[in-house]
Amino acid sequence: MSRLRAQDRLKAALQGYYAGLTAPVAWCSSVGPAEILYALGFHVYFPENHGALLGASRTATPNILRAQREGYGEEVCSYLTADIGAYLAGETPLTGAYGLASVPKPDLIVYCTNQCHEVAEWFGFYAREFQCPCVGVHPPRYVDEVSESAIAHVVRQFEDVIAAGERVTGARLDRKRLAEVVDLSRRGAELWKQTLETARSTPAPLTFWDSTILMAPIVTMRGTQACVDFYRETLEELRQLAGAGTAAVPDEEVRLYWEGMPIWGRLRKLSDWFAECRAAVVASTYCNSWVFDCLEADRPLASMAEACTRIFINRSEDAKLRILRELLADYRIDGVVYHDARTCGNNTNCRFGLPRRLQEATGIPFLTLHGDLNDLRFFSEGQTRTRLETFAERLRPRGGPPAHREEGFPSPNQIRAR
Amino acid sequence: MPEHFLGIDLGSSYTKLAVLDGSGAAVHAAVLPTRSRRRDDFERELAAIRERFAIRRVCATGYGRRSVASDLQKTELVCAAAGLALAHPGRKCILDIGGEDIKVIEADADGGVVDFCMNDKCAAGTGAFLVEIANRAELDLGEMSALSRQSASERVMNSFCTVFAMSEILGWKLGGVSAEEMARGIYLAVVDRVRRLPIRRELPLFLCGGVIAYHPALADLLRDNIHADVQIAERPQYAAAFGAAALARGAGGGLER
Repeated sequence: MSRLRAQDRLKAALQGYYAGLTAPVAWCSSVGPAEILYALGFHVYFPENHGALLGASRTATPNILRAQREGYGEEVCSYLTADIGAYLAGETPLTGAYGLASVPKPDLIVYCTNQCHEVAEWFGFYAREFQCPCVGVHPPRYVDEVSESAIAHVVRQFEDVIAAGERVTGARLDRKRLAEVVDLSRRGAELWKQTLETARSTPAPLTFWDSTILMAPIVTMRGTQACVDFYRETLEELRQLAGAGTAAVPDEEVRLYWEGMPIWGRLRKLSDWFAECRAAVVASTYCNSWVFDCLEADRPLASMAEACTRIFINRSEDAKLRILRELLADYRIDGVVYHDARTCGNNTNCRFGLPRRLQEATGIPFLTLHGDLNDLRFFSEGQTRTRLETFAERLRPRGGPPAHREEGFPSPNQIRAR
Repeated sequence: MPEHFLGIDLGSSYTKLAVLDGSGAAVHAAVLPTRSRRRDDFERELAAIRERFAIRRVCATGYGRRSVASDLQKTELVCAAAGLALAHPGRKCILDIGGEDIKVIEADADGGVVDFCMNDKCAAGTGAFLVEIANRAELDLGEMSALSRQSASERVMNSFCTVFAMSEILGWKLGGVSAEEMARGIYLAVVDRVRRLPIRRELPLFLCGGVIAYHPALADLLRDNIHADVQIAERPQYAAAFGAAALARGAGGGLER
């Protein structure tokens, strides 16, 4: 993993964010209508970020078992089980990292099922636990393109969120303030996108492993000035590194794409193993999921509805193939690594034949790694390294690194002839 | 003393050692159980090899490839492809059934890996599976292959998982299913595991790994059920070890990688 100045600023930014989580607090799913909640004056807390922290701090597994004892299934989202288990145990990594005695108590809970049904069950648990009002937004799922009727449907549900929030705060939503927050979100997302795009350079100055850490502000602080400021400086640093030809992976030979969830408890090891293979993971669906470039301040609710319906995880397999195909070309990818996350079927995209269709369309080979976002019992170190090393060996043609496919993709006949 | 090259394949169940001479000819092969705590046998074999041959370079492979001193480490898939290229030139598919996994490798004429696929984290159909099930079925592992050839039954063990298969075999025993039929049914379960792997029908399929070395009847069932052109590789259990030795030797075609 790269040593970036941004990582030091990240600590300070997150300290500020967590210190600011005072009443009124709204809990929100990661790609839910956080802008509305900020505009209503809530401080916004994201349980998924907490789930990832439990994974990254390798405290998830005992908590997963605790949730399973309470009746949650073995293959249910391990963010959910780790988070609920930690709550039941009265534990949080926020204590050690940011000095919080516990996760902040919610005054309002809002979720959006654009990513999965599990968030409804997860947030519903806390609504019962805290006797707290809870509103769900349910966009149409698995859409190919986003229709006007889908946007209208989601906007109507946002109005319900606004009404619920106004009942908690006792004040009307300031629509001008909402436009400002949406604009801050757009600017933050645009800077985040440009930050990720510095990895288009060869060699790449940052990898997926760095991005999974640097993404914390776009997840938790989207819609705030602090988020915009963080990515403005981060982008500047990475552009300098890209300009100077600084490589995140020394002797970068192959450029890979990561499809699926991170394996939070093994980021460091995976980063090392990929680097040993001189393989830079330069782009990912996961980190690109917070690029909301359709947000517009002059149509705040409609553009938010579009953004939350248009995210990758909520799209058809055909739309996913189109999006991936573009990203593989943009980042000059040599191979795609799919993470089959045992407890996250919704963000695992290798179970319906997509890898083969994408390989046929682009000629770019793929590898599937089995694991999980948080439950490390589903992860095998030996199998993972053997697969990865064999894949890297396969991608590296005799006599040097692979020729990047800048001339466009080969035809299916050329692919078959290989 | 002329120089030699050593390949060490540290598998989950057995460790295989293979030596090639400077011309690439096989001059020695040995197999011993993989024991992490009692390495005496391994160290003794290694010392004996070093006494007999001037080992110039060592390549280690298998899951334990990082636990022994070596000049280079390559995965067992890369080594199996390189090893088979020594005796079986040409493009091919390779099915390597080992102690803990099943691998399909598509190899080019030079012994380079073109594509590959491994089973999920599940022992069904692997060597570990056969050992467990044969034990529960009270079958002698060494006799299973010959026994199965005496049955033409289509009874297949259906279970996807080793634990479920153990209760299924109990049902067979209580139901009076013959040893011959049980042996064949267990192999047919392995065939079903292989059936779901992507094997290219237009290429010959070579079998290697420890399981096929001791259960050659499985090759016939694979030929009848999955692929017309099935061949057992020369010295199947040593394919990866010889491939490692070839990579240590670093000569010729695709093997220099």
